Amino acid sequence: MSQPIIDLTNCEKEPIHIPGKIQSHGFLLAVDTQSGLINYVSENISKYVQVEAKTVLGKGLDYLSEALALDVSVAGVLSQLINTGFNLKSIESLNPFVVELQGQAFNIIFFASANDLIIEFEINTNDGFESQKVIGSSISKILKGITLDSLLQNTAIEIKKVINYDRVMVYRFDDDDHGQVIAEEKEEHLEPFLHLHYPASDIPKQARELYKINLTRIISDVNAEPSPILTYETESTPIDLTNAELRAVSPMHIQYLKNMGVCSSFSISLVVKGELWGLIACHNYSAKFINYAARSASKLIGQILSSAIEYRQSEENNERFDLLDKASQVLVEMIDNSNEIPEALTKKEITIKDITEASGAVLIFEQKLICIGETPGESQIAALAEWLFDNMAETVYTSHRFPRVYKPAEKFSGVAAGVMACILSRELKEIIIWFKPELLENIQWAGNPDKPVEISAEGVMTLTPRKSFKSWTETVRHTSLKWGSAEVAAVIKMREHIIYAIKRKANEIRQLNEKLILAYDELDTFSYTISHDLRTPLSSIKGYAELLASNDSLDTNARKLLQRINKCTDKMASLITDILNYSRIGQTKVNKEIVEMGKVIEDTKMDIVAAFNPIADFSIGATPSIYGDKTMIVQVFANLMGNAVKYSSKTSNPRVVINGEVKKNEVVYSIADNGIGIDINYYNKIFEIFKRMDNVQDIEGTGVGLAIVKKIMDKHNGRIWFESTIGAGTTFFVAFKNKQ
Amino acid sequence: MRYPDIFQVEDSDDFIFLMEHAVTEISRDLRLVISINGNEAIKALAGLQARSSKPGLILLDINLPGISGVEVLKKIRENDFFQSVPIVMFSTSDNPKDVDSVMGFGANGYQVKPMGYRELVNCLKKMKEYYLKTN
Repeated sequence: MSQPIIDLTNCEKEPIHIPGKIQSHGFLLAVDTQSGLINYVSENISKYVQVEAKTVLGKGLDYLSEALALDVSVAGVLSQLINTGFNLKSIESLNPFVVELQGQAFNIIFFASANDLIIEFEINTNDGFESQKVIGSSISKILKGITLDSLLQNTAIEIKKVINYDRVMVYRFDDDDHGQVIAEEKEEHLEPFLHLHYPASDIPKQARELYKINLTRIISDVNAEPSPILTYETESTPIDLTNAELRAVSPMHIQYLKNMGVCSSFSISLVVKGELWGLIACHNYSAKFINYAARSASKLIGQILSSAIEYRQSEENNERFDLLDKASQVLVEMIDNSNEIPEALTKKEITIKDITEASGAVLIFEQKLICIGETPGESQIAALAEWLFDNMAETVYTSHRFPRVYKPAEKFSGVAAGVMACILSRELKEIIIWFKPELLENIQWAGNPDKPVEISAEGVMTLTPRKSFKSWTETVRHTSLKWGSAEVAAVIKMREHIIYAIKRKANEIRQLNEKLILAYDELDTFSYTISHDLRTPLSSIKGYAELLASNDSLDTNARKLLQRINKCTDKMASLITDILNYSRIGQTKVNKEIVEMGKVIEDTKMDIVAAFNPIADFSIGATPSIYGDKTMIVQVFANLMGNAVKYSSKTSNPRVVINGEVKKNEVVYSIADNGIGIDINYYNKIFEIFKRMDNVQDIEGTGVGLAIVKKIMDKHNGRIWFESTIGAGTTFFVAFKNKQ
Repeated sequence: MRYPDIFQVEDSDDFIFLMEHAVTEISRDLRLVISINGNEAIKALAGLQARSSKPGLILLDINLPGISGVEVLKKIRENDFFQSVPIVMFSTSDNPKDVDSVMGFGANGYQVKPMGYRELVNCLKKMKEYYLKTN
């Protein structure tokens, strides 16, 4: 069975600025600024003066002066207002304008609302409040507080003195709009509300907006009947009472206060940097009106407190910022002066961690992961980074409640309830992530924050303000300290420098690459020149020696010496040829095709037989095709089969076995001999150019053959390895990747 | 008329020495004329043309001081008179890149210079057989 999901958003929809009613501790008129005629009037005007509301509508202000029997000076001011065309700004500076109506002192409060001038009449209780004196001493007492806590506590105390309510609380909004009582001054017998939290829905959004505009708000008696505002029948727009002192209270809020046992409520807004930072909320458990002068004094105290908070916050921010900024400057300098970005960011005294207040950080750069301080495990970080790449719209991301958006983080919220991330490159998946640990916090809610839904007698579910304010404890998990703007600023600045350093490095690599290309070209020319320059004289030496050998007059000894010269030149010639082949492979592109190996091996065998005239017995097994460059593959088999024959030539029954095998991703060929074998200690040496083993000195070779084979295998992304036993033989294996 | 049998452009004294020996060994009748650089070769060929003589085979070293063997090859092939004369490029390089670059300019063959005297004699015998058969 599914339950209807109910929250308090309907509370948020209530248009509380246009209630069409006022509280009944005063009356209200509105004058159209164009016509100068009264177009709104509260019905309760008749309770205060002997005028019926209906008769006032449509009349000019002069009628009002007369009807209200205002003295000459008041009437003069009113008519002057009309004649000067309502300079609305200056009108508000008249507040409160004290008049006497039928023996009762009233405060007139003017303010502008759209096309109307609203005139509120509020009883002046004239309780002998001397605002100048009280404010002066209050403010000096408030500002004695050194810490924010003492500043707020002093404020509560002083406000209580000014308005004399039962309870004065300083209430601070969190960034999720729920709030907490952070200072309280109350009558002793009352239960304390200090440190209690109230859910965001207790003060709906539009109410918070009104608090920002109209800085004080009095609800003088929750039990008083509000008075409707009358207007012409044709007038359809309700009058905007945003700035009205008398604005009627939402029935929902009245109920809320009644549930709490509050009869009168007064609040002063604390606005810091244009945002509603908090409220000074005052409750009285019997009806108690506060005179305009005392409200004004409270408002002023609230404003002074607001600016004191603002100053302290920015001071605190500056201190934090300075500290982070110093670290950031050191780091940025290291980035600018280093070619090793990961090292500059993570290995020095100041690291990426220190430009924030994080307790851990990780750098994922060039496919390496470097952790500093307290971080989740590497696999957790890898998954987290993936999520960030998928979900980050901007280059910088912060959350102090990360497990709320990324469930797996619950497992490691002990080190990473707070996460800040900064993407360096989406393409290369490079990112820096900072972590802040979980702060376990017990929150005392003033009643369960999920307001109960009430079911009426008719069985209809209706939302009511909650009735229970019984303290209810919740442990807040998966939350860290917040990320400050200073931290974000430091990260953004650092990112710019890293990006610049990466670009600079890329540029250096490009230049290096160009040099390398030039060097390769030079090497190409060099190899060519060497071959030409060495081969030509060598060929001549050989030629002369041969010519000399054909001279009949030479003795046997001289002939032997000439034969040695011949042999030496042959050796040198083959060395030059091999070097040329080796260097040429480096410069040649691999042209892959399917190579039929049966024929390649047979041809190679024939060539070897022709060249060495060996007595070796060839045994050729399966010859599966290979995907590769045919010329190069021929070279590989010529060299390996040639070696097998050469190094088994001293064995009594030389035997060379060749076999190919198709594996899952590759084709592996083995070329086995029963020759002299290779010392395993030289395993890696044998693939180096010019390296020959001690036991092969009497077998001809240049030490280039295997180096060529290795180079070809590397160019094919293939593998080469061998198994060998000294005196028993060697098996070489070459593995070529299959065509994808 | 055909004169000489082999016209060679070659700058190496040593190779010229061995070449002369080898030609003599193969046949005393085989006539060899040598120019030691490209400019001399072009002059000498002009002299031959003036006497209506055509070589039976031109052997052109690629690496020459001054103008290169390839340039000489282009010059000869521009001249209709020598159109029918086979030209073989002679070089120490067996790099396929070099082979491709000269064959496009009208050479009939490309020969890697033999190593030593015996190989040279064998090589010249084969070329005589192939290009100078009519003699």
